[in-house]
Amino acid sequence: MVNIKFKINGQKKALNIHDDMTALAVIRSLLKLTGTKEGCGIGECGACTINVDGKAVNSCLMLGAQLDGTTVVTVEGLAAKDGLAPVQKAFIENHGVQCGFCTPGILMSVNALLQEIPDPGHEEISKTLAGNLCRCTGYSQIFTSVKEAARLAGQGDQHG
Amino acid sequence: MAEIEYVRPVNLKDALNFLWNHGEDTKIIAGGTDVMIDVRSGALDKKYLLDISRMDELKGIELNDQGLCVGAGVTLSEIYSSDLLESNALALKKTAYNFAGKQIRNMATIGGNVANSSPCGDTLPALSVHRAKALVADKKSTRLVPVEEMATHAYISSLSPKQIIIKFILTPYQDGFADFQKIGRRRELAVSRISMAVFAKKDKEGRIAFLKFALGACTPVPHNMELMEKFLTGKTPTRELIWEAGGLLAQKMIEITGRRSSTIYKEPAIQGLFMRMLYPVVK
Amino acid sequence: MIKSQYKSIGKNIQRRDVSGKIKGDSQFCADIELKDSISLKVLRSGRHHAVIENIDVAEAMKIPGVLKVFTARDIPGENLMGIINRDQPLLAHGKVRSKADPVALVAALTDDIALKALKAVDVTYTDLVPLLDIEDALAENAPKIHEKGNTLFTRRIIKGDAKTAFEDCHSIVEKQYKTLAIEHNYIEPDAGAGFVDEDGTLVIYASTQNPHYDHQEVVNMLGVEESRVRIIQAVTGGGFGSKLDLNVQGFIGLALYHLKRPVRYIYTREESYLATAKRHPFIIDMKTGTDKNGKLIAIKMRACCNTGAYGSYGIAVATRAAVHGTGPYQIEHVDLECSCVYTNLTFCGAMRGFGTPQAAFAHESQIDIHAQKLGIDPLEIRIINGLKKGSINGTGQKLTDSVGFHDCLKSVKPYYEKASKDWVKQKTSPFIKRGIGLGGMWYGIGNTGVQNPSTARIEIDLKGRVTLFTGCADIGQGSTTILSQIAAEVLGILPEQVRMVVGDTKLTANAGATSASRQTYISGNAVKDAAEKLASVLLTAGVNKLKVSKSMLEFKDHCIRVSGNPNKSVDFAWLAQRIHAKGGSLSWQGYFDPETIPFDPETGQGTPYSTYAFACQLAFVEADVLTGEVNVKKIVAAHDVGKAVHPENVIGQICGGIAMGVGFALMEEFEFGKTESMKDYHIPTCADMPEVIPIIVESDEPTGPFGAKGVGEPALIPTAPAILNALNNALGKRIYNLPANLERVLKASIESGHFSPK
Repeated sequence: MVNIKFKINGQKKALNIHDDMTALAVIRSLLKLTGTKEGCGIGECGACTINVDGKAVNSCLMLGAQLDGTTVVTVEGLAAKDGLAPVQKAFIENHGVQCGFCTPGILMSVNALLQEIPDPGHEEISKTLAGNLCRCTGYSQIFTSVKEAARLAGQGDQHG
Repeated sequence: MAEIEYVRPVNLKDALNFLWNHGEDTKIIAGGTDVMIDVRSGALDKKYLLDISRMDELKGIELNDQGLCVGAGVTLSEIYSSDLLESNALALKKTAYNFAGKQIRNMATIGGNVANSSPCGDTLPALSVHRAKALVADKKSTRLVPVEEMATHAYISSLSPKQIIIKFILTPYQDGFADFQKIGRRRELAVSRISMAVFAKKDKEGRIAFLKFALGACTPVPHNMELMEKFLTGKTPTRELIWEAGGLLAQKMIEITGRRSSTIYKEPAIQGLFMRMLYPVVK
Repeated sequence: MIKSQYKSIGKNIQRRDVSGKIKGDSQFCADIELKDSISLKVLRSGRHHAVIENIDVAEAMKIPGVLKVFTARDIPGENLMGIINRDQPLLAHGKVRSKADPVALVAALTDDIALKALKAVDVTYTDLVPLLDIEDALAENAPKIHEKGNTLFTRRIIKGDAKTAFEDCHSIVEKQYKTLAIEHNYIEPDAGAGFVDEDGTLVIYASTQNPHYDHQEVVNMLGVEESRVRIIQAVTGGGFGSKLDLNVQGFIGLALYHLKRPVRYIYTREESYLATAKRHPFIIDMKTGTDKNGKLIAIKMRACCNTGAYGSYGIAVATRAAVHGTGPYQIEHVDLECSCVYTNLTFCGAMRGFGTPQAAFAHESQIDIHAQKLGIDPLEIRIINGLKKGSINGTGQKLTDSVGFHDCLKSVKPYYEKASKDWVKQKTSPFIKRGIGLGGMWYGIGNTGVQNPSTARIEIDLKGRVTLFTGCADIGQGSTTILSQIAAEVLGILPEQVRMVVGDTKLTANAGATSASRQTYISGNAVKDAAEKLASVLLTAGVNKLKVSKSMLEFKDHCIRVSGNPNKSVDFAWLAQRIHAKGGSLSWQGYFDPETIPFDPETGQGTPYSTYAFACQLAFVEADVLTGEVNVKKIVAAHDVGKAVHPENVIGQICGGIAMGVGFALMEEFEFGKTESMKDYHIPTCADMPEVIPIIVESDEPTGPFGAKGVGEPALIPTAPAILNALNNALGKRIYNLPANLERVLKASIESGHFSPK
């Protein structure tokens, strides 16, 4: 067993975990944060995407022990207490969600992207979302949602 | 199977010490994007997982008197965003751009990609073009190994269980034509069926003055494709010449692998991809 | 009512369930936490075809933490499943017919213990000859996979005299087309959970497209009263046809029945790949003939699909492939036949389009070949032959309303003409060939030639709140939103004011399957019927209060008022209380079953569907002649959906269907025994997607709710044909086998002389 300490969605956690546990299992099974999904288990689909120290990673391919000392955000940590995050609003308003199973992973990829590039172009969005498979939407309304999310986030910054 | 034990030494010295004693029972994990697949499937029958992902000694990209040094722990995302690599090893940077998906680029390391010894490892062609050598260390010694010699067979590394790759030392090339291209079954997130990297320079008369080339994903272990260099250097690149060279390359691949069912596709596709990649240098 | 007066229909309202999905709160099956739940795992045979001599579970039972190992003997009721023909056991009995066949079910405290127990179950088999393709299965001395033989079913559609008519045809084209098995690859792997409630009811959470069917199967399997089983559809992460068959519901039911404690079963992606239905591989021989002007005169099709070890929806697939074999064209002489054959592969079932995508690949290739032979433009030949109002289709059905195929062609035409002039001719790289191609389609809404009703219930409480109860499974396509819009439109309230109770067999009425693009049309009508009944009693009560005739009343803002007069109104709460006080009902049932006429068993003549959707897509492709890579740049997609209840949802279906069509056309191939996980199977990423220009064509269907038909499957069907026709246009060489992968495209490039340094 390994002791790990990390911060997730603003909360400090200290856990004793199995050595071979994935970060995904830590998040879903131990912390009961089931918004993060397992779609393939081998890093192909992106449904398990989380942000670790600001970067999008597949939590199924990350060892739980490697969470030690990091700052993690999952889909549950996106929204502020007073409402939805811009990226969430944008996906609702632009019909970027169908079955919703890939959605948390996509939101986390987009969240990391917008922190890195506040106003991404089509190619940058495409390079980011290529690691998140969606079988329902054909991605078109997702692209629209991401562009809108960037616009909303940009507005927020100006006001803030 | 007993549960695997996670070990994270604080520095390289401790890591090498650990491997000196337990190397046979240890799997090294860096980005984890290959290792974790075996952890999940139960294919990993080791006692220890040695985490080297946080070692400063394996980080950093710098140009010094040794050459262009890329730490083994450098991620593909870091490679993509390096200005130093943009100007000195553009083919490697382009490799990083086309490597798996972004989540994997954020985790996967160049050292891990080479150590995994997959025939489809995308970093190999560009490293080979830059005549990269891996600086490999165990507790008692270090040595430089050409990247082409890092694998003995498909998925079998030439590293001893006591060794770690510290960094890669590349020959920097500036101001020429550099590219990496691959063919997969889809436009992103695809395993390479064929990959290629090249660096070329022309002289004032338009002849190829300098060329380095490597082929990926087609042979079980990387092969030096010096024949391309020999065939093309000093010649004026025309469509016909590049086409002919692409044909030679395909024949060389068949020489190495023999004819397989995939050869029906790969033979023309290698010639075709070579033509497409080198077309910008055609006069 | 005039269109512009719609308050809810045609509006892009917020999706009902989106808030939970966007916050990560939605509970998919794998997210459901049941206290002290145990794990289930299935032992699969791992062999194609064998007799089970013995199953010894003794060693497995000794493992600490193993609660029970079930075999077929533990099934108290009928050990057979199947919505059309019952041929699939929950746990193998006597023999196994595919590597995926479940032989034993382990219940254990954890997944790890369950997996260990699987290895300890000792099964003795005697192998039988495996039959892996259609040819083997139909060979003279082939062993029988099922007692009734290896041909499950054949559908014939015969009209006129095709044989004689071919003699007078000017252009005859006869080709063979092949398609492979396809994996649905919804992103949520199959999963379920369950517990026994305080009344002793077995409650099963399912990832399903048809909760009421699941209910019936589990009831039969366990031999219990209907009320003892309750299926609750959890939030479902896509289905595309596969989740019409049971995945884990039966296993959960069996374990609950015996162990009476909470259980869960989550398939790994690998198990989902191995064990769930696939799209049927097809071999289609098609012969078509036209006169010298390109008018189709006769068609003959002999098609065969491989259904693997079990029928599942195979009969429906074969039937649809036969009916839709003509394409959206009027052909006088029709001789169509499609068979469905058992083999020892993992079973094939429903997948978006039920055989129509495969048939469309054939008929759309044929019509382009005729056009080329005759020197007629591909768009023109579709205009010449396209079904229109008054046309008679292959089953002898006269199409009377909502035949929007020509409107679809017309919508695509400007893009087609411009692209033919400009885009195709623009120079890009010397090694890129550009091409454009058309794909037409028609698709019967609802099940084929059989009854397939939907029921719905609507209630108003004494506070005036409206609740709609429907068994219609929303698997991501948005039916819950659509049905709320339909109810709201009738009652003059906002869709979000309609409380929705969905997919729970204890509470909802059977709406039939979420399949066959039927829920908007059929369940939409059932909901409309229920809402209209409620509206009618509300109006009657309103007349009493407002003292004007019904015709002078209107629904507005949760009230009934005298038209245009806000001061003379009465709210729903008052009306509900009044009705209740008078002993009237506050709960109304709606029903709809589309009018069909069953096939004549010999000729296949009849009215298989009461309405059809139509579409035409135009694909712009670039083929790399040196490598065989294909880049689909753009697709213009015109779809006649009747009336778009929620246009953005329609666009979502169109774009999603196109993505699946791109995969079907270019990259997806499920190889039984080789394709194990998502590293082996490629569905399109966002980078593989073309720009999509969706065009919604509305030709109101008089029998549809507010004119609506359906779009789920039609979205996919024309895509692959359009891409393949565009590839032919680019390379001058046609590909007859799907997918048009790297190998096939490069081969076509070589054979057409494009593979060169020039």
